[in-house]
Amino acid sequence: MSESEMALGASHGGHEAFLEPSPYGIQSKKLTMWLFIISDAVTFGAVLFVYAYLRTGTPNWNTPFQFSPSIVNGMIMTLVLLTSSLTMLGAVEAAKAGRKAASLKWLGATVLLGAAFAVLHLREWFHMFDEGWGLFKNPTGGPVVFGSAFFSITGLHLMHVISGVIALIVIAIGYNTDWLDANHVETTGLYWHFVDLVWMFVFPLLYLMNAAR
Amino acid sequence: MESSSRMKSYIGIWVGLICIAGIEVFLTYRNFSVHQLLAILLILAFIEAGIALLYFMHLKYEKPSLFWSLVPAVLFVLLMMNQIWPDAYRLARLKLPIQ
Repeated sequence: MSESEMALGASHGGHEAFLEPSPYGIQSKKLTMWLFIISDAVTFGAVLFVYAYLRTGTPNWNTPFQFSPSIVNGMIMTLVLLTSSLTMLGAVEAAKAGRKAASLKWLGATVLLGAAFAVLHLREWFHMFDEGWGLFKNPTGGPVVFGSAFFSITGLHLMHVISGVIALIVIAIGYNTDWLDANHVETTGLYWHFVDLVWMFVFPLLYLMNAAR
Repeated sequence: MESSSRMKSYIGIWVGLICIAGIEVFLTYRNFSVHQLLAILLILAFIEAGIALLYFMHLKYEKPSLFWSLVPAVLFVLLMMNQIWPDAYRLARLKLPIQ
């Protein structure tokens, strides 16, 4: 042990191990979010593989989505979610630069876009319910696994979006009252970008692969 | 890099991601078989996800140890899930009506 390390240990009551820097150079809350994200990525990976298994192994699979309104709606949802990632980046950049008011405005825009995505998604769902689709229903008489797969996967993603919107509201309130800091905004931003990243797989696999051609 | 110039580069990446999504929609209505379309859409989705991971989630700017601790493990698990394909193709060949 070097003299400086011994001095450091002595000055901290022998607890120098607690002062060891993170091997990843990030705060523990950010590392925790990354660990959550990889576990969630595997969860979504598993459900998407189940969907791919059913999609490939079912000869009479339905492709019910017309270009308008379903695919167009999916495209708008994609645009809204991608834009919300951009506004989230604005919030993180402003928070890191200490511009709290600007960061809160960007966070507000992200919340609005996230809520808009949820509304568009629910509108799509209710439109499908009106047509007779359901978790265990297929109005065409085809396999009900289409509805099971579609509503399960998009429902899991929608739950992440709604949770994200709630988390963003809590973070914005906490950041505004100095209960939370810029690092919390950045960590929540990671989660929000992950929700966007998952949609990059859900949209082509669940919507485009089921487009009526 | 300054905050404003970073935002400009983020806007460029955002436009790029929208373009890839547009290409996905365009290719959906070309004459590809289901398997070809699935492969094309997956490749484009992985490109989009990689860009989002590196730039939006800042993985490019973190220590390499973080990247190497996280990404190979996830890819390994996802690759191991590919065991489903032989059985999925077997089911498809059997042409059993699945409810």
